This record gives sequence, structure tokens and C-alpha cells, in this order.
Amino acid sequence: MNEVSTTTAVGDKVPQSPWHRRIQVDQLRRGFPLIFLVILIAIFTIMSPRFLSLDNLSTVLEQGMVLLVAALGMTFIIMAGSIDISVGAIVAVSALVAALTADTLGIWAIIPAIAAGAVCGLINGLLLAVGKVPSFIATMGTMVVYRGLVLYFTRGAPVSIDDNGFLWTYSDYSWGIPHSVMIGLALAVLAWCIINYTVFGREVRAIGGGERVSILTGIAVTRVKIMMFVLLGTLAGMAGLLQGARTMAATSQLGLGLELDVIAAVVVGGTPLTGGLGSIINTMLGVLIITLLSSGMNMAGVDPYLQNIIKGAVLICAVFVTIDRKKIGIIK
Amino acid sequence: MTLLASHLYKQFGPTRAASDVSITLRAGTVHAIVGENGAGKSTTLRMLAGAVRPDSGHMTLDDAPYAPQSIVEAAARGVALVHQEITINRSLNIAENVFIGNLRSHARVFGIMKRRRMAELAQAVLDRIGVKISVSTNIDRLNLGELKCIEIARAISSNPKTLLLDESTAYLDHREVDAVLTVMQELKSQGMTIGFVSHHLSEVLAAADDLTILKDGQFVGSFAASEIEANEIHRLMVGRDLSHGTYPPHPQRADIQVPIVLQAKQLAVGRELNDISLTVGRGEILGLAGLKGAGAEALFAGIVGDEPLRQGSLDMNDAPYPPSNPRSAWQRGIAHLPGDRGNEGLIAGFSVLDNLVMARPPTRGPFFDRSRARTISNDLIKQIGIRTASADSPCRSLSGGNMQKVVLGKCLAVQPALLLLNNPTRGVDVGARVEIYRLIRQKAAEGLAIILSSEDMPELIGMSDRLIVLRQGVVAHEFASVSGIEEHDVVQYMT
Repeated sequence: MNEVSTTTAVGDKVPQSPWHRRIQVDQLRRGFPLIFLVILIAIFTIMSPRFLSLDNLSTVLEQGMVLLVAALGMTFIIMAGSIDISVGAIVAVSALVAALTADTLGIWAIIPAIAAGAVCGLINGLLLAVGKVPSFIATMGTMVVYRGLVLYFTRGAPVSIDDNGFLWTYSDYSWGIPHSVMIGLALAVLAWCIINYTVFGREVRAIGGGERVSILTGIAVTRVKIMMFVLLGTLAGMAGLLQGARTMAATSQLGLGLELDVIAAVVVGGTPLTGGLGSIINTMLGVLIITLLSSGMNMAGVDPYLQNIIKGAVLICAVFVTIDRKKIGIIK
Repeated sequence: MTLLASHLYKQFGPTRAASDVSITLRAGTVHAIVGENGAGKSTTLRMLAGAVRPDSGHMTLDDAPYAPQSIVEAAARGVALVHQEITINRSLNIAENVFIGNLRSHARVFGIMKRRRMAELAQAVLDRIGVKISVSTNIDRLNLGELKCIEIARAISSNPKTLLLDESTAYLDHREVDAVLTVMQELKSQGMTIGFVSHHLSEVLAAADDLTILKDGQFVGSFAASEIEANEIHRLMVGRDLSHGTYPPHPQRADIQVPIVLQAKQLAVGRELNDISLTVGRGEILGLAGLKGAGAEALFAGIVGDEPLRQGSLDMNDAPYPPSNPRSAWQRGIAHLPGDRGNEGLIAGFSVLDNLVMARPPTRGPFFDRSRARTISNDLIKQIGIRTASADSPCRSLSGGNMQKVVLGKCLAVQPALLLLNNPTRGVDVGARVEIYRLIRQKAAEGLAIILSSEDMPELIGMSDRLIVLRQGVVAHEFASVSGIEEHDVVQYMT
């Protein structure tokens, strides 16, 4: 008998074999976003004791809601193997629409704001699914166009939001909880239900897992793709509304670079860009990591000129550990 | 050069891929390694080639110790491997593909390529192995068999004494297999030692001097090809005699019900299918023979609406059926098992359940009905005999045969009226094949109309009630019955 056969014959020795170790690493990897979050909180708590105070956490959560709402929609897109980099621009469009209509419509400015986001998403979806333009290029183009629209209509000047009803509904507190946090968490639950319990959620995942298989199996791939971009547009519209209410104004700079934080949040949460996988819980963890990282560094008094360097490096490290690069094979 | 390996063992995770394999490649002979899928053929060949390092055992090359750490080291010792996948890079030309491994040695200063010199050398290699391909040919015009020959040329370009060919999941059709066999004979006559893995038993018997049989990773034995019968090889590979009953018995013609399920009138699709009219009736298995590109794939693509019809029309159950997209085809009751399991048939990372209910997920309002999906998939797993730990296991963890059963299950889950099968047993081991054949025959007996396209001639003859031979997009011949038909009767109409 040689060594190999003995190992399999004696069951007790199996834990020593390399494949068992790999399973443990896999489990670790799945839990990594959570571990990473805990480590981050621990570090910032040591550096600044006020970090863990209820007051501060509430502020951090509130700051993270715009990112969360947009990232919920992005989870679907990335799960299907696509990407949307126009999301920050859609946020700006919706915030502008909300600002322009809030004076007359009050809290009902939510309807045009969301509709504007949905239309932006629809255009992205049509370009990809019907026009067959790759999503990266299509949304890079629309990003510039949407930003351009905001700039054209504002002429670079901020549009302020003064309607008290609007501001109270979307940015004030009840029972000590920011309304935006309630809205964000409610939408997260909704997105979670869509992914886990609807046929649409399964179809999105199937497209990311194998688009050709999905087409040949009779999934309405074109329709599903359009729907998911409309969903992201709608959620980005909601994010724009929240952002507008928070800053009490819409500006052409609003949401600038947000798309990078949104994509980073989804990926740091452990959702691979290759598609087929994704979960709302992971995205929420990713959003927390990104948000805590920014605000934590501020509180800990890290040199602001150093912060971007640290942030970028931390993101790369997180993805380095989270995603099992061995299974992907080819990285482009 | 004689390559001798004794008592090789290899373990991948919990799977024992090869166990106590001893094999001798005699100088200047062709040695075949045969076995079912998962028997350890590829692993064995790859150990000989240095691509996989054995856990234990030892090898010698002309009595000198031989323990290559990589294929590069093996190549330096004169042992070259041709991979089972086609690894031709289509954005490079033929000469560049032949010398891809050492392009630098064909460069001048500053890395500028010696194009003409390289083309001449590549042509010399192609001529040496007897392949009639000019290096100036556009690489997109070559078929898979010719691409395989380029790969062989690549392996030969390092002047090896031993050539190892892995063809364990052959995607080649008859014509292409012939081209590769011819090259092998040519190389053998030049004194090359050849080891190869194949799943076509007839080609093994035609080409090999010796053969080694593996089963479930275990070494069964080595034999001289002249001393062993095909049936005996089958029995040793599978562990039971399959010479009778690989294919379930044909029903009497009278048992096939007349109502026509699908009628195609003067159909033309894409570049491949030019003009075809055919019918398939309830309970009938219609076979389609033909070389790759003869039109069967295009016909399927047209019927399911994956490609638009260039001309002609389709009737289903006596009503016009204008195909628009695969979705409406499935809704009409047309199920389609594509030829490329990995890219078109199933999503390997998804669970068995997810794949089985993909075509028609059970719903409750807008919601996915998980409990009903579980019932459906458990029923299918039992009915089809899919061997999986549970419905939630990823398909990736299954063998090729069981993955194909999942694809078949996905088709049957919609209770179709018409089933299109494109090479349903490609890369499926003999044991699972028999089960798939039984299931197909049983479904036909229950009234399902089936069109079966296959490159496996015995399978077509064994399964079809009626057989159509396609050639260059038109019907070359129709056999109203397959009783008494031999392979060459069909093949003569194919070219």
C-alpha cells in the first residue's frame, strides 16, 4: 500500500488532506466581509472612543443610505454579469428633478424623481439589451449625457430645496431614527425578497451564470435585462431624492464618483464581477465597510490628504482576500 | 523510445483518479488508453506527460529515470502532449500557432519576427506529419480536425520521440477523426512512440497496437490490440457485457402513431441549411446524420427560433408555427438539448434544482414556488436516475453523464411535445448512455416526438426509427427504416 491509499482508508486522517483545508478557507472567505467589518470597527474604536457611540453610528448609517439604496440596484446588475457606471449621474438627475418639483409637489416630488431615474435606467437597458452595446460602454456614454443634462439645466448653479414637508419626510428623524435609514432598510428587505423569492431574481442570476444557457432555455433575457436596469434606475432615483433632501439642494456635482463607491461596496461585500452570485446581505456589509472606512478615518483624525491612498489600498486588500481568484481562472 | 510507468497513483481531493496504473509504451508503437468517463484515462496520460505529478509510482524513459515536474521538462526529454481542448489562438496565424511555445527563438533583434523563415519551418512540420494544409490558409477556415492537426504539429515542432494525445472528450466528427488517425499512422511509420486516449472504441481498435483498460481509476490490464475483441473491451471497461442491449429494442412501425407533430417545409436557416422538408410524428425518433455543418444544428436553431428562417415554414400539430425566439418555442412544447453542454446546456455553478426547473420555474403569483420546485426536481432525479448527493448540489460536482441527465431532465420537466436532441451522449460514459437511451425510448413510447442529431453513428442507427442524412444543407438520403443498416451505408451519403 502506498501513502495515498492509506490516507483514504483511514477516515480519521482525512482532515489533514489539502482538500479539507481548502473547504475551511472557503468558509473563512465567505465570512470575510463580516470579519473585516469587525476589525475595522475595532481599529476605529481604539483610535477614537467616540466612534462606537449611538449618536455617531446613527450619523454614519444616515450617510451610508444613499450608497446603500444605489448598491441594492447594482447588486442585480453585477449578479447578471453587467455593470452600470452611470449610477452616480442618475442620482444627480433625480436629485435635480426632485429639487425642481419639490416646491409644487411637496413630498410627492418622489414620483417625478423616481420616474426620472427609471427612464435613465430604461435607456441604459435598451442600449444594452436591444442595441447590444456592452454595458460598460453604454453606461459610460449615458453617464456623460446624464451629467451633461444636469449641467445644462442648472447652468452649474445649485437648485435649493425649501419645501419643509419634503425635507422633513426624507431627511428628518422619528423616534431617534433617521427617515432615510427606515427607507433604506425597507428597500433592502424588498430587494432581498426580489432576489430570493421571485422568478425575476432567479432569472437575473441565471443570466449571470450563463447567458447562452438562459437564452436557449427560454428565459426572456432581453426583457429581464431591461427590467434590471430600470430597477437600478428607480433605486438610483430614490438615492438621488435622499441625497437632495440631505444637502437641501441639487447640484451638478452631486453624486460625482458615487458609481465607484457603489461598485466597490458590492464587490467588497463578496459579489464577484463575473456574475451568477450575489446577495443583499453581502452588499449591506460592503456598504457598511465603505461608509465606516470614510467616516472612521475622519473621526480618527487621519490626514485627509492620506485618506484616499489608504481607502484604495484597503479596498484592494479586501477584494484580494474575499474573492477566490483561483476559481476565476482568467482575469481581465 | 520506450516509456515505462509502474504503479502510478494520483488523488485529487477525495477522488482517487488513478490507482496502481502500470503501462508500457513500446518504442514505435501506438498505445491506446481506454475506459469510461472518469476512469482515469486523462490523468494517466497527463502523468506520463508531466502535466500532473503522480503521488507515487515511478517512470523510466529508455531505462533512465523519468520524473518530469512539468510539461516543459517532459518536452525537453522528448515527450510531448497534445491537450484534449483545442488551444489554437485564432488571432494568430498558423505558423505562429505552431511555434507558440518558443516564438522568441524565431525573432531578430528587438523581437522582430522572422516571418518568412517561420512560415517555411511550420510548413515543413505540417508536411512531415502528412497534413495537407498550407500555412498561408486563413486559420478561421480550418475545421476542428485540421486545428487538431495544427496542435499535433505544435507538439512535433520540438522534435519529440514520444507523442501523447488526449482525446477523452472528442468533439471531432468522423472526417476529423480520420484526419487525426492518418497523422498518427504517418508519425508511427517515422518511428514515433504514440500514447493516446480516446472514447471512440472503433478508432482505438483501428489505430492501436496495444491498449490499456482503466475502470473507476483502477488499472484493469494491458493487452495487444490484436488479441482482444471489442465486446471484451466493453465488458472490462464497464464491468458488464453491453454487446446486446446498449440500445433498447425498436418498436414495430405500427406502434408509432401517425399524427404529425412537426412539419418543416423547404426550410433554410443561416449559411448551413439550404432547403429541407421533413416531418416527425408522435412517438417517433427521427435521426439526423451528417458531418458538422451539414445543417442539423442550423435546423434546430431555426426550429427553436434562435436563428431566423431564411425561407420556408413550420407547422406544429397542423397549425402554422412561426418561430420567433427560444422562449416561445419552449412555451409551444418544444424542448431543446443543445450540443455544447458546458456553454449552452446547463449552468455548472448552479444547483441541480436550479437547472432542472429553469425552463419553466413553478410560481405562486410573482413568487418562485420553492417547495413545488423541490418536488418536481426530486421526482426528476428519481425518474431519470441522476446520481447526486441532493437537489441542492452544484452541477459542477456531477460527472459528465449525470450533468447531461440534468439537461435532459430540464427538457422533460416542461412535458414537451417535441424534443430536439443534439448529440445527447457526447462525453457521456457507456453506463450513463444506456440509461439515457432507455429514457429516450421510453419517452417516445409515451408519445413524445424526438429529432435526434448525432455524430455517433452506432447511436443514430441504434436509436432512430427513421434516418435522414444531411449533406451541405439538403437531404442527401432518407432511410425509412434502419433495420439492417450498417455504418458505411449512412456514411457514404455524408460526403
